[in-house]
Amino acid sequence: MTINLLTDRGTPLARQNFTWKDLVQKPISKLDDDAFTRVRTILMNGVELDSLRVKQMILRMNGPLRQPIAQLMRAEQHQATLVNWLIGADHSPIETTIGYEQTAIEVTASVALLESDPYLSQGYRYALLEDFDHLYRYSALLDRLEGKDANNITQGYTDIVPARPTQVHHRAPEHDLLEPYPLDASLATKLHAITLTGGEYQTHDYYMNIGPLFSDPMARQLYAEIASVESQHITHYGSMINPNESLLEKLLLQEACEVWNYAACLEQEDHPRIRAIWERFLDYELGHLSAVIELFKAHEGRDPAEVLGDGKLPPGIAFESHREYLREVIARETSLRKDGTQFVSEQEEGESSLAYRAQMNSEGSPSETVSATYRWTPGTELAREPDLVA
Amino acid sequence: MQPTTLGHNRTGAAMSPAALQAMNEAADDLSPTQVIDTSSLQIQKMAFNSESEAVGSVPSPSTAKGYLKTGLAKLKGGEPTVLLDKLGERIAFERTGTRLYDALIAKYKATLESGDDALLPAPPAVQAAGAPAETPLETLMGIRAEELAHFKLLTQAVIKMGGDPTSQTPSADVTAVASMGIMQVLNDPRTTLAQSLNAMLTAELTDNAGWEMLIGLADDAGETDLVRGFKVALMDEQRHLQVIKTWLTALVSTPAQPAEAV
Repeated sequence: MTINLLTDRGTPLARQNFTWKDLVQKPISKLDDDAFTRVRTILMNGVELDSLRVKQMILRMNGPLRQPIAQLMRAEQHQATLVNWLIGADHSPIETTIGYEQTAIEVTASVALLESDPYLSQGYRYALLEDFDHLYRYSALLDRLEGKDANNITQGYTDIVPARPTQVHHRAPEHDLLEPYPLDASLATKLHAITLTGGEYQTHDYYMNIGPLFSDPMARQLYAEIASVESQHITHYGSMINPNESLLEKLLLQEACEVWNYAACLEQEDHPRIRAIWERFLDYELGHLSAVIELFKAHEGRDPAEVLGDGKLPPGIAFESHREYLREVIARETSLRKDGTQFVSEQEEGESSLAYRAQMNSEGSPSETVSATYRWTPGTELAREPDLVA
Repeated sequence: MQPTTLGHNRTGAAMSPAALQAMNEAADDLSPTQVIDTSSLQIQKMAFNSESEAVGSVPSPSTAKGYLKTGLAKLKGGEPTVLLDKLGERIAFERTGTRLYDALIAKYKATLESGDDALLPAPPAVQAAGAPAETPLETLMGIRAEELAHFKLLTQAVIKMGGDPTSQTPSADVTAVASMGIMQVLNDPRTTLAQSLNAMLTAELTDNAGWEMLIGLADDAGETDLVRGFKVALMDEQRHLQVIKTWLTALVSTPAQPAEAV
């Protein structure tokens, strides 16, 4: 199926209807469905929520757009609900967390490979190594708190090993920033940054909501620590986005981003019921994009092709294991650090980060404590603990 | 022992008679007055139950050889999935149980460090046969070791049957959902030893019934070796249950101190 962002009309907004029952569809099976169906579900929830978030901000900043924005937001709200409610309640909060980190790892790895700008690609690989480490820390928590194997969730696609240690992710805010992509960057570059920013937002918000639900103080600390890093990642990826784009330009890109992601989900989904959801929402997003194209023309008097080019979709995210690529990146780039917007060696790291980190870790590092000596083992680390009963 | 003190608990409606009266008046004036009827809620829930899919499936045995060698193929109605599912459930439960005892041991050690030796040694009748008298900490460590040993026993049983002991079976999944509250109680630093033992009582009662059921299933499959091993595990679990009940009973029977209760 070939999509053209400039000419495809999708489902008109007025025909994008839901019922409460429609919003609550049968969840995917944690046990039987492919891990990448969950990855796509988590990703699309993040993309939808970010679309809603950006619209909420534009609503506050632009008088003439208030009504069309409100109308678009209603559909986004219900799309986000339908997608997020596909996660079954038999996922414990840590198991869902494992799914979030797997999503971050595999999606970011794909984006790093797709990104043609070497600096931005470096930016994806940089934060990727941190999310990779988070998977390891949370897997230790799942094993040691609930007695569960994280690979029941990741299904062998993603290695569970340490990368850049979480305790050194804590940087002073000025070292979280990146240089933004130029206004004339390729459409692909813009869609990559928007997708990852949305993904980090949802991960951050999820951790902020579930962290306090744990009774275990070490789990509460670990979620507090990693939520802080996810907040840094929002800054990291969010600062890739050019701040000089107009609000309508941002809106146009946001809708194109949703189309781009749903198209990739649709192309790779083999679960028939979930595939039908991706197809339906791809059409909804084309409807949103079409509406925004008209707003863009009317309010900015500009040609949407200035932003969307010839309307062809750039290559989509590959929902697959990136094991070999990740191993190469880990071997090569784990020791990288940040100095301002630049990637530097460990010795050149921005000094204010060292002071900030020393302060935050001065009463201990939850990520180190929770995972001390942890090595992923099939069936939990208890499988390799010596049997003391004769 | 960590006390549960009498204090200023604000949750009861009777805490504020004036507010209670005002709320009753508001409810009388503004809420439905019909008799209680939750039938539409029940009908909706029934519809969802009818339409829903299962949480998942039992993975097929990975080796036909293991499957044929064992009693799985001989099970009544040729239905091996129930036994594999229940074996998966016990694997998950024993693993989680080991972690629950980790949490209980940490809590007990904290009470010891605070100078409050809240538990008496388990009575000789429930200590491991032939073992020297144990301290409560040794008893706890011993139970934890047995939970781990049961996990390994079950792992070997599943491997022998050509199954994958690392898979999460549907019953393992659902039992884990049911166990979440126990995990939360045991790991909460605010819960007392008595409250934690109360939660462990739920786990041990379930565990005992689970082993009894598993022995029956293995027996049906003609797995005499497994039945023998499982019966030993059940005896361990019966002892665990007795220990927990004895300690809990002792704690809740302790005369309350002034302004304190268990």
